[in-house]
Amino acid sequence: MDSQPIIIEKTINAPIEKVWTAITNRDEMKQWYFDLKEFKAEPGFEFSFTGGTETKTYLHHCKVMEVIPGKKISYTWRYEGEPGDTLVSFELTPDGNKTVVKLTHSGFETFTSGNPDLDKKNFVQGWNEIIGTSLKNYFEGKK
Amino acid sequence: MRRDVFQAIADPTRRRIISLLAGNPQHLNAIAEQFDVSRPAISKHIRILTECGLITIKKQGRERFCHTDLHQLREVHEWTEKYRTFWTSKLDALENFLTKDQGKKKSKH
Repeated sequence: MDSQPIIIEKTINAPIEKVWTAITNRDEMKQWYFDLKEFKAEPGFEFSFTGGTETKTYLHHCKVMEVIPGKKISYTWRYEGEPGDTLVSFELTPDGNKTVVKLTHSGFETFTSGNPDLDKKNFVQGWNEIIGTSLKNYFEGKK
Repeated sequence: MRRDVFQAIADPTRRRIISLLAGNPQHLNAIAEQFDVSRPAISKHIRILTECGLITIKKQGRERFCHTDLHQLREVHEWTEKYRTFWTSKLDALENFLTKDQGKKKSKH
């Protein structure tokens, strides 16, 4: 059982091949994503980059896990010196001349793996309850 | 032992206590009565929740009332919201990149 992932879907007005190139070609990625030294859409390929907010940047380490050419790519996503290893995936589905991009970021429970006091299964359940229902209702109801 | 909000939510009894007390302060005995576990066990959970900053205890007469301070839980909420914001802006950037690119090519024709 995993903690509730973040899933975002977006329909982009571009054909699937173009979107695939934009998310896997280093020169194109540089223009909207991150400036990587090198990128290969091949399982096992590892890359690192610096990114973050204006006040603090983090060194990210990623490793490509799964590639279905033209359709799906997933890579791990962790931070230098921090516990945890999350998974980011991009899945593309054609919709006429447009493309539905589904971004999934999962595995947030692993960020607490440095804390031995936590029972993972229980933490994940609590996390889902808090994130998925109670907090959502609490904060969105309050607005 | 590290006490933080993540630890507070990792226990089902503590989660029940939090939802029981949200917006509805109660005294210790009243809380304990609603659980099958022993009163000392409930006291321990309350103590942990107090140390995590999710509950404050106020004395009213002879009774000790437990109030929730759910502001701390915002930490958990904001943490995932940050990622949601991050990915939303990245996908927007991807869209801009792709549609801008398309526009350029169209204008060349």
